[in-house]
Amino acid sequence: MGEIIVSMQNIVKNFPGVKALDNVNFELRSGEVMALLGENGAGKSTLMKILSGVYTKDSGTMSIFGKNYENLTPRQAQEVGVAIIHQELNMCRHLTVTENMFLGRERVNGVLLKNSEMEAEAAEILSELKIDLDPRQIVGDLPVSKQQMVEIAKALSIHAKILIMDEPTSSLTAKEIEDLFRIIRKLKADGCGIVYISHRLEELQAIVDRVTIMRDGQYITNGDFTSMSMDQIIANMVGREIKEQFPRVSCPKGKKIFEVKNLNAGRLVRDINFSLYEGEIVGFAGLMGAGRTETTRAIFGVDPKTSGQIFLDDKEVHIQCPMDAIKAGIVLAPEDRKKDGLCTKLSIRHNLALPNLDLLCNAMGVISSSKEDQLCAEAVENLLIKTPSVEVNAANLSGGNQQKVVVGKWLARNSRVVIFDEPTRGIDVGAKVEIYNLMNKLKQQGIAVMFVSSEMPEVLGIADRVIVMCDGRITGQVMARETTQNEVLKYATDFEKKQQAV
Amino acid sequence: MNNNKQSAIKRLLGTRGMGAVLTAFGGLVIIYIAFGIIDQNVFSGQNVMNLLRSMSKYLLIGVGQSYLLITGNIDLSIGSMVGMSAMISATMMTRGISPAVAMMVALICCLCCGVVNGILVGKFKLPPFIATLGTMFVTRGAAYMVNNNRNTDAIATGIGKEAGDSFQNFFYYGKTFGIFNTFWIALVLFLVFFFLLSKTRTGRHIYAIGSNVDAAKLSGVNVVTTTIKAYLVSSVCACVVGLILCAQAGMGNMEAGNMYEMYGVAAGVIGGISPLGGTGLLLGTFAGAAVWQTLENGLNMIGAQVGIQRLVIGIIVVFSVLLDVVIRSGNFGKKSK
Repeated sequence: MGEIIVSMQNIVKNFPGVKALDNVNFELRSGEVMALLGENGAGKSTLMKILSGVYTKDSGTMSIFGKNYENLTPRQAQEVGVAIIHQELNMCRHLTVTENMFLGRERVNGVLLKNSEMEAEAAEILSELKIDLDPRQIVGDLPVSKQQMVEIAKALSIHAKILIMDEPTSSLTAKEIEDLFRIIRKLKADGCGIVYISHRLEELQAIVDRVTIMRDGQYITNGDFTSMSMDQIIANMVGREIKEQFPRVSCPKGKKIFEVKNLNAGRLVRDINFSLYEGEIVGFAGLMGAGRTETTRAIFGVDPKTSGQIFLDDKEVHIQCPMDAIKAGIVLAPEDRKKDGLCTKLSIRHNLALPNLDLLCNAMGVISSSKEDQLCAEAVENLLIKTPSVEVNAANLSGGNQQKVVVGKWLARNSRVVIFDEPTRGIDVGAKVEIYNLMNKLKQQGIAVMFVSSEMPEVLGIADRVIVMCDGRITGQVMARETTQNEVLKYATDFEKKQQAV
Repeated sequence: MNNNKQSAIKRLLGTRGMGAVLTAFGGLVIIYIAFGIIDQNVFSGQNVMNLLRSMSKYLLIGVGQSYLLITGNIDLSIGSMVGMSAMISATMMTRGISPAVAMMVALICCLCCGVVNGILVGKFKLPPFIATLGTMFVTRGAAYMVNNNRNTDAIATGIGKEAGDSFQNFFYYGKTFGIFNTFWIALVLFLVFFFLLSKTRTGRHIYAIGSNVDAAKLSGVNVVTTTIKAYLVSSVCACVVGLILCAQAGMGNMEAGNMYEMYGVAAGVIGGISPLGGTGLLLGTFAGAAVWQTLENGLNMIGAQVGIQRLVIGIIVVFSVLLDVVIRSGNFGKKSK
């Protein structure tokens, strides 16, 4: 226990035009959980991809269990016991749980696959981890949180000695996070070295022993977790002091802008009633699968409604499709930036212009490039989008800047209601604050802001009023300043009593 | 024991993609009976034999193309490889070279094309549509050049009537256990490739790279060799179909196999193989090839013109995919997320 199992010295990695890693040092000991911290783009994932053989380093030395590796391949890394759980889910959606767990190292009997043996072993691993899943289920049919658990089970099934987790909890519920931590503690006791990357600093104290901090591709410092304060850690990550993690501005509550009455759309949107007022941010809290995203989709006209009315400035609006909502002035920054929020293969410019083409085109349908330039310049300036130019592909931006582009798409229009669905997921502390400031600015401009988030501290820190959902219903409504996390959690777990079978 | 049996059947029916396969077979039965009602001759033993023989070519092409569709790729060069295989083997036989050698040379040439396709797509990451479009023209060009831009003479002029007949009988005109050899050849290859896809590691990797190539790579799957293997399967299928066409005509035709790659896509798609990769069963391709040939055969029997045949097949291809989409969205609700 405690001996150094991974040692990376002076690692350099260049990508075209960017120095992703500049002389980075990293050490991992057996039986410890090492938090690797830094803002997005700090190079954490790149460093871990080198350790797991996805990328090859340009220079520097890397030794695993005392052996030097120059060009590590993913398969070699697996063989020496390095397993990585990637930030983006990496599952073959069409294959079963078992097939995914054994992908690349299927058991064969000569040429025949030993399916039943693999299934039995998968079932064993899953039950050991207390994950309630049928190994024969198709992964694509599972909810994201379960897919994440499959990914973890897969990593464990190769008997990893070095386990790298890149944002493993971003789509897990509180209970699942608890399960994950239990598993991590068990692995730690078994002598595994664990690298833990997370933006949720508050969860670190439950499991982390040491931290390594990186910034802008450079190694900053490392040390025992207990000997560092949270402020020190944040200051090291950001390179500057962040005054307020949750900046709140107060403004007087104005008139009612938006109202939803008796909205129903499937099992996860049942009898929803709420209103939004000028000058306030309304948070939507709840557990994963509580129906918050579904509610936003039903309002925005993505999913069909079974019943319900929507009023904007006391006039009823009929929303059948997203275009109706946009024309009425209701806009949505969706949960999954890359899937629903952006055309990642298009430039920032094209992304910003896309929902505003009606404003940018002349009568003949020709896009005015000067108007487009103006729109982009305003968006980049107002939102502080960090990019060399607006011609860069949206895919190449960091998570925080992508989120700003998603928001920027809507700000050119005089929107009345802006719905944010998990706007800060997977982005770093500094960028989070910028997103909060943006919401505050909208609030000050008299725009109704609906803010869906699974992170309780930020809901309580930023929203003025919090609506809690559970299992498709609104179960509680509280003022953020007067409530506690416990109260919100109570509402969030307020499941209906299951009817007794007759 | 009964229980065991039941769960095995249940499991088989629950296999992903089985729904589409059953739909295709259901469609096959309906189409067959419908034509049979219009014209009793459709049911005759003679017609069934002909049907089995004519569907064999499409079955083989379909199997080859299905491998690529499942990996999320496509092989546009299949039809041209058919022509090249027919021309190479026929030309060599007219020059008196033994059929065995001629077949081997044709096979080697097709395998080379398969390797090239696989490297271009798997290693150099060319879009498969473009890479195989290139090899499609190159191999068709080769088919023309083999015999100086002319179709060949009868193969019997080179290897003699006896050897020529036995070649033709082996691939096309002969029967074993009362069924044309062509069908047996197709069936054996079908079973081999069915086994390869569903029971072996290579097969599993083929599904995996079609489902999510990045995940497969990060799991240690060798994407390049797996892609090459898939293209090798289609080139083997194309080669054998070329030999069948050569045996049928008794000579080499430069245009042999024209458009076959698309027939392969159609057979696979009718049988529920998703052109987006990751899903589909070869049983579906079997059903797809059978549906197609039953249609063509039935329309022929009732005297429909070629134009009508094409038109109907086009509608069936779109309709079968449409049906699949509608059924799926019905079953799983609006799971647009």
